[in-house]
Amino acid sequence: MKYILLMSGAKAGVDSYHAWSQKDIETHMAVLRSITNDLSGSGEFVATQGLAEPAEAKVVRGEKNGMPVTDGIFPESKEFLLGYWIVDVATPERAYAIAGRISAAPGPGGAPTNMPIEVRRFAAYEQSKSQ
Amino acid sequence: MKYILMMNTMRAGQGVPQWDQKDLQAHIAFMIGLNKGLRQSGELVSAEGLSFPDQAKLVRAGTDGVPITDGVFPESKEFLAGYWIVDVDSPERAYAIAAKVSAAPGPGGTPLNMPIEVRPIMSGPPPEML
Repeated sequence: MKYILLMSGAKAGVDSYHAWSQKDIETHMAVLRSITNDLSGSGEFVATQGLAEPAEAKVVRGEKNGMPVTDGIFPESKEFLLGYWIVDVATPERAYAIAGRISAAPGPGGAPTNMPIEVRRFAAYEQSKSQ
Repeated sequence: MKYILMMNTMRAGQGVPQWDQKDLQAHIAFMIGLNKGLRQSGELVSAEGLSFPDQAKLVRAGTDGVPITDGVFPESKEFLAGYWIVDVDSPERAYAIAAKVSAAPGPGGTPLNMPIEVRPIMSGPPPEML
């Protein structure tokens, strides 16, 4: 079954990440890469992506004439998706274990970030379609 | 350039199953048609629907490496309901597709005018992070 692991953060979190040292960022990225490598090795990896800065985010609504109306104004508290992993695993517990590893990726000074990772299963219709 | 189009819902807004059968079928037919059009134009990378928020878990690593799960969320939290990843020539084209998604029919065939969050996807980590 497929799960998506969502890493999100509000403005304060994104701002603090920008203040990390180069070395801390490199260590963090190296751990994330090794998680992806392990998932590829176990055949559980489907996809991963990082998103561009929340400053580039727009919210779009269709108007009556079908023309898009864009708006890029968000409350400070809004959580933005920063990146995600899609995994194909045998059990929900396995998805939680992978999310736990991502959560434990090192932050400033090598201490685990303990970022909350939201774990969501793909809808059954989509699962059957992709099988 | 790749964009992700995100359809979010509040927990209270997960009311799709309460629609009548006809409205639900019209909504799904619209989405299938939209995806078909994007596939034909070569712009669709992927599209997925997520299961309902009552199955969502929040996971943190414990100090011993064991995952700690939590399924309690604030009422105000927005949940991702589904997404489209499209590969388009301009941000305006991404906004136009998002507007189509936004206008998907709801009860009685009225456009939902749902807000769709549009975000550029990074092609890879910035070179300085590799």
